[in-house]
Amino acid sequence: MSKGIRDRVAIIGTGVTQFGEIWEKDEEDLLVESVYEACGEAHVDLREDVEAVWIGTQYNFSGVSGGAFSEPLKCYGKPVTHCENFCATGMDSVKNAAYAVAAGIHDIVLACGVEKILDQGSRGLPDIGTGHPLAVGMSMPALFAICATRTFKEWGWTEEDLARVPVKNHHHGAKHPKAHFRREITLEMALNAPYIAYPLKLYDCCAMSDGAAAVIMTTPERAKDLVGPGNYATIKAIGHAVESLQPFGRPDFTGLSFPANRKASRSAYEQAGIQNPRKELDFGIVHDCFSVNELLSYQDLGLCQPGEAADLVKDGVTAIEGEFPINPDGGLKCFGHPIGATGVRMVVELTRQVLGRAEGYQVKNAKAGFAHNLGGPFTTSMVTIVGTPDWEPGG
Amino acid sequence: MIGIVSYGAYVPMWRMDREEIARAAGTLSARGERAVASWDEDSLSMAVEAGLDCLTGIDPKEIDALYFATVSSPLKEKQASSIIASALDLKENVNTSDVTDSTRAATSAVQAAFNAIKAGSARKVLVVAADSRPVMMGSEFEQIGGDGAAALLIGEGDTTADIENFSTVSDAIPGPWRLETDTFPKMFAAKLDRNHGLLKDVPEAIGGLLKECGLEVKDISRFALYAPDPRGYFNLARDLGIEAMTQVENPLFETVGITGTPHCLLLLVAALEKAETDQRIVCASYGEGSDAILIRTTERVEQAKGKRKGTGFISSKRMLPSYGRFYDFKKAMEAGDARPDGSSVVKYWRDEKWGIRLYGMRCNNCGTLQYPISRCCMICGEKDNHEDVKLARRGKVFAYTHDYLLGPGSIPSDGINPCTRVIVDLEDGCRMWMEMSDNEIAEVKIDMPVELTFRLFRKTGGFPYYGWRARPAR
Repeated sequence: MSKGIRDRVAIIGTGVTQFGEIWEKDEEDLLVESVYEACGEAHVDLREDVEAVWIGTQYNFSGVSGGAFSEPLKCYGKPVTHCENFCATGMDSVKNAAYAVAAGIHDIVLACGVEKILDQGSRGLPDIGTGHPLAVGMSMPALFAICATRTFKEWGWTEEDLARVPVKNHHHGAKHPKAHFRREITLEMALNAPYIAYPLKLYDCCAMSDGAAAVIMTTPERAKDLVGPGNYATIKAIGHAVESLQPFGRPDFTGLSFPANRKASRSAYEQAGIQNPRKELDFGIVHDCFSVNELLSYQDLGLCQPGEAADLVKDGVTAIEGEFPINPDGGLKCFGHPIGATGVRMVVELTRQVLGRAEGYQVKNAKAGFAHNLGGPFTTSMVTIVGTPDWEPGG
Repeated sequence: MIGIVSYGAYVPMWRMDREEIARAAGTLSARGERAVASWDEDSLSMAVEAGLDCLTGIDPKEIDALYFATVSSPLKEKQASSIIASALDLKENVNTSDVTDSTRAATSAVQAAFNAIKAGSARKVLVVAADSRPVMMGSEFEQIGGDGAAALLIGEGDTTADIENFSTVSDAIPGPWRLETDTFPKMFAAKLDRNHGLLKDVPEAIGGLLKECGLEVKDISRFALYAPDPRGYFNLARDLGIEAMTQVENPLFETVGITGTPHCLLLLVAALEKAETDQRIVCASYGEGSDAILIRTTERVEQAKGKRKGTGFISSKRMLPSYGRFYDFKKAMEAGDARPDGSSVVKYWRDEKWGIRLYGMRCNNCGTLQYPISRCCMICGEKDNHEDVKLARRGKVFAYTHDYLLGPGSIPSDGINPCTRVIVDLEDGCRMWMEMSDNEIAEVKIDMPVELTFRLFRKTGGFPYYGWRARPAR
């Protein structure tokens, strides 16, 4: 079990670009915008003060190596590490940057992520596979669609149960200025949309979007000097687990629950000292790449019992005005999923919520929340908990 | 005696209505329907299917040689029979050979098999014949042709039917031909080929055979013949003086079409399925000459009935909805993906045992049967402690989806025709993640029975990768 880094690392600056189909800008534009916004908010100078950098990109067309950061920013000479870990790519950048601060190696670090998915030209995420000619591929929607057919069989969930998730998230994202999609949708719209991978339809799936995000982290001591009390959040825990690349061949695969999710969230809760996340935390950001995944994540992350997630949405529990808001920002449903950027953006959203800066989509009295990624064929899961410095578990 | 120990056949799932072809191509209809190989099938993959049918209940390691007869090998330089042997899980020192370039190749292969056994250099030889020939839009062959495969296991003792004699005629007649660069066969004049080739060579071969054995036409209960078109069958029956209705095995023109190289063997299989003990059958091919084979059934011909799917594949069928779909299927898999893929041929070669031979592994520590074969167990992590296990080919669907984004073989989809993806639980307990072929969208359900089928997987970088897919149980 990880000792964790509870309250040893502070987030003092955040930056997020507009997310969407950004044909007219490239990864250089997006990185420059998000990094400078984060540095400005943190009152640090990129070239003078930032000691080390972690950058996440999934695809080589968005950038490879530490040069993916140093070249666009023309910021040379720093130790820059390139991270890739499927959909948790961005959050893994945050993790490694935070660990460097907690280890006492660096005082001021930058974690950022970017993806220019649209530059690749495909209708879905490009197939990266294993390069094995007999590897049976799958589109990302197909991966989760398979699970949806099992939930229909086991729990009697329906396409309508799935459709309520994007209706909820679009309701939230409509108020977020940086979201790709800023409009409400109706249940009828969601149910009448074409299939992408049966039984998932258009609105069950997140879009192809470009974007970038960045956070500046430091020690709590330096945070007080740089931005002052009340202007920074602290990391309470980062849980991470990596499982199989070939889950479908496992005789114990159910399609109803993912071991990586359970292990990552349990680790995060233990590090933060949390017994009951739904009672002790105030909100969550879950990886709603597909509607069914938001529901299954509620269960794996301990917000409810297996089979109950559909009712949580139906009963409004996870709406922004509900008992435990999920994806108050609109989630991947409204932001799309530029892989390298997503996890960093989620940490930005956590920080802004607990600092009371989420204007228009603010969760009331938000002191602490979690963000969650699930990447690959249910391979890599991360759960990060961020709160105000004075937040304590048990509350 | 040396003879046929087992037989098998394969006819693909799909049929095309000839009326529909005629309407679309602006030609006259030849009536009936023709069998059409799926977009992921070719002569190589269909030969595997016929071989699997023929080897039902037979240990594949007993086979000493495999001969593949075809005029439509997907490979110009590279042996198809070695891939077929691997997919059939034959032993490593099996003698493989492709017998090609003439529709007579099937009987040439049977004769070679017979000779090898007679010479004592082999005990059991598998002959597989298959064709899926390219069709030119609007041509006569587009309608009369059909795709299919047949297999005979030749051996000594325990025969279903004994091979009593052969005769052969070689004839350097122009016939149909295809140069290295031709997609479709050329033909100088069908009439020349029929009157001076087919109707001369086949009667000569059969006449010589009967004369040598002291038999007459009336002593033969069935003739399994090849002719390039229905008219050829009619003329052959007339010239040979045989009863078209009773003595000539139905050429399957109405239901399958003329398959080419495998056709006389396919008709022989149909004849054997109906035959009684101690009946004589003549099987004769045509193509730059003719081979005739005299066969006499044993009492085991009755016991063999119903043990193979054989021509039962003919009634297990689905109609293609349109000429467009037929045309799409026939233009072969243009896998559309020319990305250079330098390492994958090596991976394919390295992983033959699970990829083509269809082996999984059973962990000696926790007992889990799993696919593919790897160093460490996916469940308990045990390292290098497992046995390789040949997997079952039947199972049922555990979960499924219809993927409109990514097509078969990981080629970007057109967004209109989904790729059905399934998790299959095999009868032996192994679980596999597969693509499905030959299915309708609406029929796929959890617990649906399926079979594994050997298909063309993809053509990345121009190399044909074959592997296993799921299909609805037939």
